[in-house]
Amino acid sequence: MKRNISVLLSLMVLASLVLAACGSAATTTSATEAPATMAPATEAPATEAAPTEAPIPDVSIATFDGTSLSVPAEECNGDYIGAIQSVVATDENTVTFTLCRPDPAFLSKIAFSPFSIYPSEWLETASATDRLEKPIGTGAYVVSEWSRGDSITFTANPTYWGDAPEAETLVFRWSSESAARLLELQSGTVDGIDNIGPDDFDTVRNDSNLALLERPALNVFYIGMTNTFAPFDNQGVRQAIAMGIDRQRIVDNFYPAGSEVASHFTPCAIPNGCTGDDWYEFDAAAAKAKLAEAGFPDGFSTKLYYRDVVRGYLPNVSTVAQDIQAQLKENLNIDAEIVVMESGAFIDASGTGSLDGLYLLGWGADYPHITNFLDYHFGAANPQFGNQSDTYTNLLVEGAQIGIPADAESIYVEANNAIREYVPMIPVAHGGSATAYRADVTNPQAAPLTNEYFAVSDPGGRDVFVWMQNAEPISMFCADESDGESLRACEQVTEALYSYVVNGTDAVPALAESCTPNEDLTVWTCALRQGVTFSDGTTFDAADVVATFNMGLNIASPTHVGNTSTFFYYDYLWGLMKKPGA
Amino acid sequence: MTLQSDTVAKLDPEILSLNSVSLWQITWHRLFRRRSAVVGLCILGILVFIALTAQWLAPYDPTRSMLDVDPPQKIKARSAPCIHLLGCPEDQPQHLMGTDGNLRDQFSRLLYGSRLSLMVGFSTVTFAIIIGTVLGAIAGYFGGWWDNAIMRIMDVLLAFPSLLLAIAIVTVLGPGLINALLAIGIVSIPAYARVMRASVLSVREMDYVSATRALGGNNLQILFNRILPNALTPLIVQGTLGIASAILDAAALSFIGLGAQPPTPEWGSMLGAERNQVFTAPHLVFYPGLMIMLTVLCFNLIGDGLRDALDPRLAQLS
Repeated sequence: MKRNISVLLSLMVLASLVLAACGSAATTTSATEAPATMAPATEAPATEAAPTEAPIPDVSIATFDGTSLSVPAEECNGDYIGAIQSVVATDENTVTFTLCRPDPAFLSKIAFSPFSIYPSEWLETASATDRLEKPIGTGAYVVSEWSRGDSITFTANPTYWGDAPEAETLVFRWSSESAARLLELQSGTVDGIDNIGPDDFDTVRNDSNLALLERPALNVFYIGMTNTFAPFDNQGVRQAIAMGIDRQRIVDNFYPAGSEVASHFTPCAIPNGCTGDDWYEFDAAAAKAKLAEAGFPDGFSTKLYYRDVVRGYLPNVSTVAQDIQAQLKENLNIDAEIVVMESGAFIDASGTGSLDGLYLLGWGADYPHITNFLDYHFGAANPQFGNQSDTYTNLLVEGAQIGIPADAESIYVEANNAIREYVPMIPVAHGGSATAYRADVTNPQAAPLTNEYFAVSDPGGRDVFVWMQNAEPISMFCADESDGESLRACEQVTEALYSYVVNGTDAVPALAESCTPNEDLTVWTCALRQGVTFSDGTTFDAADVVATFNMGLNIASPTHVGNTSTFFYYDYLWGLMKKPGA
Repeated sequence: MTLQSDTVAKLDPEILSLNSVSLWQITWHRLFRRRSAVVGLCILGILVFIALTAQWLAPYDPTRSMLDVDPPQKIKARSAPCIHLLGCPEDQPQHLMGTDGNLRDQFSRLLYGSRLSLMVGFSTVTFAIIIGTVLGAIAGYFGGWWDNAIMRIMDVLLAFPSLLLAIAIVTVLGPGLINALLAIGIVSIPAYARVMRASVLSVREMDYVSATRALGGNNLQILFNRILPNALTPLIVQGTLGIASAILDAAALSFIGLGAQPPTPEWGSMLGAERNQVFTAPHLVFYPGLMIMLTVLCFNLIGDGLRDALDPRLAQLS
């Protein structure tokens, strides 16, 4: 008996060893190496972040006295890199913005929801929870309850200055699974949903109870490379990869209708977006030759990083990643090991330029201007692709200061061609996405800037409009948020000086009746709308505008606190009022 | 003496003949008489056959996208199964279970997936049994301080829900199949350690153990030659059932993206990748789910059968 047992045991061990050997042959070696690859990826941001978090903190250079927020005028030519020199309440209903340099996109930027106006008293006195969960604004709805993890309920603002909202109550719900969202819509428990699954377009179209709305593709999906890591420091390698990926095949097979192959980084709907030469044609043989010329005739091994989240620019991330992996192998003999990262860690690592392989990322328009695409990604200060090239960074600075698009065209032709030549990344697609509503909803929207405004939509005469999106808002203090799911919720409650026209991209007056520039576009004078009250009963005036910008820009202000207190969009679009410490 | 043995022989010749039959022969005999266990063994046999011959059975490379095929085939991503025998037009390429989101042959991926699942099941359980047995045996045999230290650690491990603990371990080690195996192996150790310790405790006091000790056997000899072989039965049952839960755990980890990484054909990750297509392309969710179910079912049936077959209280000798 004893012998039998030992024979049985050794047979079992033997069987598992054989199976393990078979299995690992089929799995590729990726699995075994995973821990080694993950470690640097997650640790990298920490090491990269260290130099930027210098021992000497930045110093505030702002002065604020309740009606005026400013930095000394001479700082505009010094270390201060921000755009706003001062925000002054000239009188109760007039605010003047003085800029350090001309900004033709001022109105498009000021209309963006993170720059919504809050009451000055509330900014000073609101508790931390109220600040994040029950913001006070002038919008058509007020937050009545946020049941964390479940839903947000909004009720109509009785003192709203504009037309009363169609539905008395608005409810936001969320689900990360597109199949679950569609199921809720089909069963009638929600009135509208965001991001239809790419395979469900026809299901919705063929259902007479539902309406499908395609959202214009104001976004870009790109394959990033950091040129401080070998072999991506070699321009020939980057060009070879750019030629060696069949982007048409990706769009044809893995993107929904309404998507297009990216001929340029910026979508064509944006003025000057598609000037200059089209992106490289797919040519596997030429790509292979180019790679050989660059010194890699047999390809090389690298990694392909991505985060497993659905965005309008990349609705099928895992499928697309696997197709790119297959194409790299087939066309260029590049072995790319797939590494899936957690979303936050991925954004940190790619943003600081510490990913040593290819990575899949994209960008959706915040405001419809070419600077929102090119300047953000290819500005000299952005390390996400490694070292930027002077051939285009200088052109971008120059182009950003020209007001009339036609005048800037020649500059952007040159800049786009320089980017094409340098290949900091490979633009792949402008992804179409879609919303769906019950057929009886009036004024259904699929906003190009993903900022649907539900006050103008009537849910077939029902009292409650229920909207279901991808994810729960992070917080509703949107001055300090950058996530689209949060911004959409804020859009219902707060308003900025301008707003985007419903379902469009043009900036139209909201809390301001008009903002007019001086000759050289450096001073913008805004006449405010009168008789507007916040939902807490206080009256809206020029001091609220100054206090709001003080909260966002003045790092020394006690009101400069939020969910993370990074104030991403204030920093990115205007620049915080600070300079490096001595 | 002679009289006595004569009496025994006369009284019950069947018992005498059984003396030459080993426990394992009896077990096999009993196992084959249980219909459910036979079904389980059949399924396992088929699975092992598929796993060993996947490269000959599969019509395509499991990681090859049909977009690479030259000339290009007339086929879309997530297309429904096309079987020529059942009336699918001849000009369409045959895909028994359709294609997945990356236009790979689902049938081929499913076949290769059996290798991974069986490998996962056997290797994690073998790992856990080896470690668990050693720990349990030490705890049970030496008792006292050893027992306390080892079993309290096992209690702590048992206190966590096993899948959560596995997720925590994978999060620390990083996603990947090998790390997932390690995690599942670690969380299954306590079950085996407990079973082993309990068996050792009961066997330790048996007369034949005392006899060996009296004859001068040292601890190692007693443990490995006398106690272990006689404490092994419950461990085998536990191990067979454990394979089922290990496969299920690995599939769950892969489903949430912590186990096998794409493009590895693993049933759990195939299921996870296509979970949003449950209405538009149900075949992509149905078949991997079915395979996981069948595999787990077969190990459960075999495990149950073995338990009954090895249990002396249920002995029906004839």
